[in-house]
Amino acid sequence: MLAFVGLAALTAAAQTQDPAYDPLEKAYAALRSRDYDSAVAHFQQAVLLAPDRPSIRKDLAYVLLKVGEREAARDQFAEAMRLAPDDVHVALEYAFLCHETGKTAEAHRVFNQIRRSGEAEHRATAERAFENIDRPLREGIERWKRALDLRPGDFSAHHELARLAEQREDYALAEAHYLEAWKLRPQLRSLLVSLGRVRQALGDAEGATAALLAASRSPDTRTAEEARALLPQRYPYVYEFQNAIRLDPANIELRREYAYLLLAMGRGAEAEHEFASILETSPHDLLSAAQLGFLRLARDDWAGAEPLLNRVLEGSDETLKERVRRALEPLMRLRQRSEAAAPAPEVKVLAERSYKAGYLRDALKYFTAAHEQDPLDFSVILRLGWTYNLLRQDDQAIRWFELARKSPDPQIATEAARAYRNLRPDFQRVRTTVWVFPVYSTRWRDLFSYGQVKTEVRLSRFPLRPYLSLRFIGDTRQTTGEASPQYLSESSLIAAFGLSGGPWKGFVLWAEAGSAVNYLGARRNVPRAAPDYRGGISFAKGFGRLLGSEAAGWFFEANTDAVFVSRFDNDTLLYWQNRFGWTSPVVGALGGLQLQLYWNGNLIADVRRQYWANVAETGPGVRIRWKWMPRSVAFSVNAVRGRYLIQQGNPWGPQFYDLRAGFWYAGTR
Amino acid sequence: MPGHARLLIRQVAALLAPAAALASLHVTGTAAEPWRRILEAWNLNLRSHRAIVVAGPVQDGQAQQWLDQVGQGAVLILEGASPLAEALGFRPRADRVRVASLEDVHRPQLPIYWERPLELPLFEVPEEARIFAREKWTRAPLMAGFRRGSGAVLWLATGPGEQGYERFPYILQAMADLGVTPEFQSRRLWAFLDTSYRRRADPDYLARRWRSAGIAALHVAAWHFFEPDPDNDRYLQDLIRSCHRRGIQVYAWLELPHVSESFWERHPEWREKTALLQDAHLDWRKLMNLLNRDCFRAVAAGVRALIERFDWDGINLAELYFESLEGHGNPSRLTPMNDDVRREFRTRHGFDPVELFDPASPRHLARDAAALRAFLDFRAELTHRLQTEWLEQAEAIRREKPDLDIVLTHVDDRFDTRMRDAVGADAASLLPLLERIPFTFLVEDPATVWHLGPERYQEIARRYQALTPRSEKLAIDLNIVERYQDVYPTKQQTGVELFMLVGTAARAFPRVALYKESSILPPDLPWLSSATAMVRSVERAGSRMAVDSPYGVGLRWSTPARVSGRLWPAWDGEVLWLPPGKYEVESAAEGPPVRLLDFNGELRSARVTPGGLEFSYESSARAFAVLDRRPSSVEIDGEAATVRVIEDGDRFTLVLPRGQHWVGVRVE
Repeated sequence: MLAFVGLAALTAAAQTQDPAYDPLEKAYAALRSRDYDSAVAHFQQAVLLAPDRPSIRKDLAYVLLKVGEREAARDQFAEAMRLAPDDVHVALEYAFLCHETGKTAEAHRVFNQIRRSGEAEHRATAERAFENIDRPLREGIERWKRALDLRPGDFSAHHELARLAEQREDYALAEAHYLEAWKLRPQLRSLLVSLGRVRQALGDAEGATAALLAASRSPDTRTAEEARALLPQRYPYVYEFQNAIRLDPANIELRREYAYLLLAMGRGAEAEHEFASILETSPHDLLSAAQLGFLRLARDDWAGAEPLLNRVLEGSDETLKERVRRALEPLMRLRQRSEAAAPAPEVKVLAERSYKAGYLRDALKYFTAAHEQDPLDFSVILRLGWTYNLLRQDDQAIRWFELARKSPDPQIATEAARAYRNLRPDFQRVRTTVWVFPVYSTRWRDLFSYGQVKTEVRLSRFPLRPYLSLRFIGDTRQTTGEASPQYLSESSLIAAFGLSGGPWKGFVLWAEAGSAVNYLGARRNVPRAAPDYRGGISFAKGFGRLLGSEAAGWFFEANTDAVFVSRFDNDTLLYWQNRFGWTSPVVGALGGLQLQLYWNGNLIADVRRQYWANVAETGPGVRIRWKWMPRSVAFSVNAVRGRYLIQQGNPWGPQFYDLRAGFWYAGTR
Repeated sequence: MPGHARLLIRQVAALLAPAAALASLHVTGTAAEPWRRILEAWNLNLRSHRAIVVAGPVQDGQAQQWLDQVGQGAVLILEGASPLAEALGFRPRADRVRVASLEDVHRPQLPIYWERPLELPLFEVPEEARIFAREKWTRAPLMAGFRRGSGAVLWLATGPGEQGYERFPYILQAMADLGVTPEFQSRRLWAFLDTSYRRRADPDYLARRWRSAGIAALHVAAWHFFEPDPDNDRYLQDLIRSCHRRGIQVYAWLELPHVSESFWERHPEWREKTALLQDAHLDWRKLMNLLNRDCFRAVAAGVRALIERFDWDGINLAELYFESLEGHGNPSRLTPMNDDVRREFRTRHGFDPVELFDPASPRHLARDAAALRAFLDFRAELTHRLQTEWLEQAEAIRREKPDLDIVLTHVDDRFDTRMRDAVGADAASLLPLLERIPFTFLVEDPATVWHLGPERYQEIARRYQALTPRSEKLAIDLNIVERYQDVYPTKQQTGVELFMLVGTAARAFPRVALYKESSILPPDLPWLSSATAMVRSVERAGSRMAVDSPYGVGLRWSTPARVSGRLWPAWDGEVLWLPPGKYEVESAAEGPPVRLLDFNGELRSARVTPGGLEFSYESSARAFAVLDRRPSSVEIDGEAATVRVIEDGDRFTLVLPRGQHWVGVRVE
């Protein structure tokens, strides 16, 4: 009785511990009554409840074999093999089923592995099975090789040879013959999928990608989708397109997409060249003809564009014809210098609304659609420029501004040209920036001048930019810097070589090495020439209606710098300068005057804890500019009340008032 | 259902007149022909079936009246975006998705591609809907549905395509999941079986499944059993026994001139040669030179022994011609070029046919068209000689086993007329043999036309019917395999395409064979019997139905029945089996004392008799009658007969002679 109770308790415990107990019980009961369908269902349920138990997978596989589901059985053995890699019996079952279900290469691989490493009994089984697979493959390969000797260039022989070699895991041979077969029938791009697959097996990722990318741009959906399944999920790189085109130069879809990619990257000239070369080999490719026509239109090449667009209009693609017709209407209007505005399509209205409401992503989508509808609507092109600019994708923005400069509408052209000029230096190889900031301080009763001329070189693949810099620091009284001569009053020219990186999300990293020369000659405590090493990180960001905005509104600006200067006793200084205020509208009656009224909040600190470098100050300020002035020119007046945060060694008292009037100019070429 | 949908439905229902008289299929706002074709594949378009309404994107008021019929059993099919679809919760969003490939729950691992990819809106589907198909990469729903009351709603993101099968292979299976199942079935299919694919499966289980899929006969790859082997032979004997228990006939399928692996190994001297003079091992076939008399005698003796060793119902001489489909364009696959053939040709035409394939020869086929023509005609003549010789061999065996049926599987050369030159096949010269040797001429659909639509079978049938008055002996063989052509939506025929192919073939030919049973995908197998059911007309009047079918048909029927006024014995509890012709069916109060559960043969008549039943039939091979009671006596054609009875639990299978017979059975 006790034993029975104990057994019952053990059974109950087993039931509670084993989540698959119930379905397994039912599965085995169904198996005993040869109700295989129920057994399969219960085993599948058990697998869900105990997915890591290889024994359930094996039992399920055996029942699947009973009902003739060999592929499903093979997959269960594969899973059992993964869970129990030392179970050679399972591996053998898996390999046998691979062979039966057409996965010959996999069967070949597994049998080959077992015949070399398993126990004697398993080795013998694997050896026999391996030989049963390998021998016909070997013989087949030899037979087709002979056939090729007798009849070189036989597609069927190359294809058979490749197929057998792949099954025999001789991927190099397979690769060679898939390639040969494809060369004989280049329209059969499904062979490129096979080529890509064996190249992957060979570890030739680049070669595989070239073949698969070419196949994935096949007009045959099956080939394209099969290739896509083997390709990396990311979008291909430019060099991968180039490799694929080298392999399959007749692949128009591939080349067209490459051209579109170039276009999207702003490499318009290369894109045009690519479209033109597509048309050389496939003059009936109307899509390329249309695109090339539009590109030529965009750069005012009317003569080059018209025959291409006419070719499309005479073609059979009605959708494309309609698009070209829509695009040509404004062209004709432009050519007739008609002032009539094109009717605003709905998508453009949506785009404007999104833009004004600040939904820039939506605006971009709608403006892009509007541009596709009417590629010659320059107001849309300009808006695309501003939208990209606001999205901080200036590499795209400049491309659109450049196009919009060609607008026949002078207002659009002027605005676009100004924006283009502003952005262009960022994308030039060599650019020179000049800034000066003379400022008069009532506290010091002195005029200080700061300035820098910097020429930097933009290297295409190198994230840092080398530059040469000449700084000027001076004051009219030449007496202010008693306690620490380098502070404020220096009367120095500093020539340096530097590297800068960024801007990245508002941050700029920089470092330079140079020599500071006192243009007044040697002074007390200050040598005439001294090495100058400096570097730091700066952050500048503005929010809201900044100076130069079209409309009035609130704004906030933050400038933060961390600067190491060797000549300040190797000190590192931190500056936080913030302004919060209101920007007025542009007052036309006052010659385009615009004001900014704001409140300053500045904090300066250093690592070496020197009194002059630890200051907090706050107070009102005003900035003024006229619209006719260059964008980076402004006058400013600030009245601040400050406090030294460290008093030790401070000869000036803890607090101060200062009224500063300055003029900021910056320009880039 | 959301409140606004209910409101819309009520408004629509109130505005419109009461539903028109139910037609079984009503299509509005979209192309009707694809839907007619789809539903016809399962006879769902017949008037007896419940109403099916297809409402496309362009809807009119007429379509919407069906909404309130759904709860009463109608089936509503919606295409794409429409107010009706929105009202039921299938709402398009602003995002769009490019659809080139999809995944269907009925066969998730099966690649399904659209030849012409489409940009479609991304749809929201109602929570109650089951999603049947999704876009492969984005998982966007493309086909979904739900049941409502006794009706159902099926939604597709876009139309099914012009032919009806281009986009959603498993529309019909999705409808079945929603409770829309076919009413008719047939059990007349033949299927080829290569046992190497089924060796570890339970033969009893498979036999049960084959029979419920409508398979009447299996043509078993006999070359695996050419040489006696105890284990191998036992397996085949078990398989044949299992099939017979389930009433399935078993034919020895021969692939001469491939004999067997072992024969190829043992007789290298008789191996066939290609035009490159290599041994003709082409794909899986290892071809022998049957024109060599020694080889012929050895193979003929082996075939006779093979037929005697097993309880076969027939012999199928399949693909008895030369290689390959590429013809003289590919010498590495071209046969025959053995010494016997070369010698005979040289004697007759004065040159060695190998010269045709020697680029250096003046007789190279590119230079000497007449020489090539002479060889191709000679080859067709050899084929005819081989086929005649082997049909005579089979007829000789039949003289000793009179119930044996004979089949010749022959690639079509009437529809694809290139086949005569490609493989030497010439049906026109062969079909007159039917007058001398009764055999079934099974036309093999050549691989070169596998990509063409189902309508080709009507044309193939028409061309062969013109060649022989014995059109009842014509049959068609469909290859259900991965096609080498660029075909869509699936590489291998499945779902709607398969059902249309099989259905069209069954309308055009008295017999349809499928190559091969193992390649029929699991989602298709349960419905094959319905796809091959031929019904000319159905009329329903109250509880009575009138069914007219050309070959006999199974009608889903759950109660005992009277057929044309008489208690009907051919009923298995779920399906009522009717002979060819028009019959009225109505429910009966009591069941027959003995039931004919299944019959493999053409049932001509049946009736209940005191203490038993009687029926008449016709069959080209042995017929199998499955009863639910043990027979105590059997009469055939009015005479007491000793009939073999295979017992299997409460099923008793009678093995009956081939030909036309009347059978009377008394039960214990």
